[in-house]
Amino acid sequence: MRDFLGIAVRGLLHRKKRSWLTIIGILIGITAVVALVSLGTSMQLAVKRSFEELGYDVMMIVPGELGGGFGGPISFRTSFEIDVEALSDVEGVAEIGLMDYESVYVKAGTQEGFLDALGASENIFSFFKVEMKAGRVFSSGDRDAVVLGAEMAEELGLEVGDTLEIEGRRFTVIGIYSSDSRLDEDVIIMPLQAMHDLLGKKGVSMVFVRAAPGYDVGEVAERIEDFLYRTRGRLDLSVQTMEEVHEVVQQTLGILGAFLGGIAGISLLVGGIGVMNTMYTAVLERTREIGVMKAVGARDSQIMMIFLLESGLMGLTGGALGTGIGALLNVVTVFAAKKALGTQVLEYGISWWLVLGALGFSFLVGSLAGLLPARAAAKLDPVEALRYE
Amino acid sequence: MRTEAIVALEGVWKVYRMGRRRRIEVEALRGVDLQVTRGEFLAVMGPSGSGKSTLLHLMGCLDRPTKGRVLFEGEDVTRLKPSALARIRNRRVGFVFQSFNLSPTLTALGNVELPMIFAGVPRKERLARARELLGKVGLRERERHLPSELSGGEQQRVAIARALANSPDLLLADEPTGNLDTETGRGILSLLSEANREGVTLVVVTHDPEVAATAGRRLRIRDGRIAEGSDA
Repeated sequence: MRDFLGIAVRGLLHRKKRSWLTIIGILIGITAVVALVSLGTSMQLAVKRSFEELGYDVMMIVPGELGGGFGGPISFRTSFEIDVEALSDVEGVAEIGLMDYESVYVKAGTQEGFLDALGASENIFSFFKVEMKAGRVFSSGDRDAVVLGAEMAEELGLEVGDTLEIEGRRFTVIGIYSSDSRLDEDVIIMPLQAMHDLLGKKGVSMVFVRAAPGYDVGEVAERIEDFLYRTRGRLDLSVQTMEEVHEVVQQTLGILGAFLGGIAGISLLVGGIGVMNTMYTAVLERTREIGVMKAVGARDSQIMMIFLLESGLMGLTGGALGTGIGALLNVVTVFAAKKALGTQVLEYGISWWLVLGALGFSFLVGSLAGLLPARAAAKLDPVEALRYE
Repeated sequence: MRTEAIVALEGVWKVYRMGRRRRIEVEALRGVDLQVTRGEFLAVMGPSGSGKSTLLHLMGCLDRPTKGRVLFEGEDVTRLKPSALARIRNRRVGFVFQSFNLSPTLTALGNVELPMIFAGVPRKERLARARELLGKVGLRERERHLPSELSGGEQQRVAIARALANSPDLLLADEPTGNLDTETGRGILSLLSEANREGVTLVVVTHDPEVAATAGRRLRIRDGRIAEGSDA
């Protein structure tokens, strides 16, 4: 086997330029497959991480049906009212966080205009993983205080202790956070009560509920749904557990990844046809040599093995290089996304599974493409092959 | 069973189908009876197209007769499977061709190794044997050269070393000096004769009277038959 490998390598090196061109065909296909599949994995991992940060014991109450408006930044414009006291009495509910999303008129120094603001219950930071760059989060009794996202603070030129005017009322900046999670950095967060007072409204855009330890999240979600239906008379709100939402998003990303991989697979198919073409040419060119090998006693299976190894090696070489380039593209993409968006939005999507799979697959494509030419070589009549000019 | 004849042809016919649709039949051999005795040096002569090469291919189990039997060391090889024929060619027969037919991608050493690779000889043993043979044909210093870097005479020496690699019983040479000048041809002939003296049965197809004169027995082929007046 090792000796046949040597003969195969010699054969490839003998027609270097053609071998490389053929290898490039496979390389492009595998690069595309690895780059796109790993991109899909990157997105899945990133989504998984952001869900893990929220915690799987958390569920959300939002207007409408499951999947509506999920996945992107928090931007729910539909407010609804909810009886928080009664909700907290539902069995298995440990903690409730409220969030209302509005545009407010802000004056800070010489700048003024409408900005995005979240009115939030003071415990809201227990639902998101944030890092305080300066100051602190809300504590009970904070009324004229705001916490700013790092991006917003920079835009407004504000630091902890500075003041700004929202809808004509003065607020003091008590904290600035940076965040890798779904809580964006370009918002102003103010106490929910203060927002309601200023805008003269009630209601929230979203409610977070944490299940008590030891309770099954799904069961608690069902109880909350029962409660909502009982108290409201209709089901205009839906309760989404992180698990459900995660599943839907992962499924969508999985389908996307498979679709992209399939398209990339077409280019791999073209690469495989290139290998087949090269191998047929090689068999034709080396007809006489095949005749000689048969004359000195090569069995059909041994001739076949030599040619299969040649085509498999071309596949494997293209696959190895393509996997490397594809992996590099993934690293660059993740890095570029981080540079462009400021936060770690993607995770590295290269796994051993993907690398080994890509290598195995490229060898397989090469060998399969070489199967017919190798068979043709093995089946040559030795006398005719020796006569071939 | 060891018989006196290493290879025997009994009423052998070989008909080739030629042309684009293989509808033209060419009778290369028309009823040949022949015995090659163990250890002899036989020269096969005749005009081109007389069926000499076909005869050689049949003796070497490279081809099967259309009719008749070929006995290799007493065994009828006519009905053997291709893999069994390959095995006989590999272990018992060595071929030397007019146009050398070395593998252009392999070095001189690699070419001599080739039959041993197909026989599954371990690498170390194989290399030692290949070097020994290259030394015997005077090319020990050129083992790393590709065929394209060797002269015609040198290539034919490598081909002889390759043919002897698995210590065959029968050495078949098809116009081995046909592409070489007289002087170089003599060198090749003496290498072949030496192998014969060491016990290998040698059959040479040739036009060259000098080669024929060296042989112990001469055979003429004409129109696919063994001609009158041969030593047969």
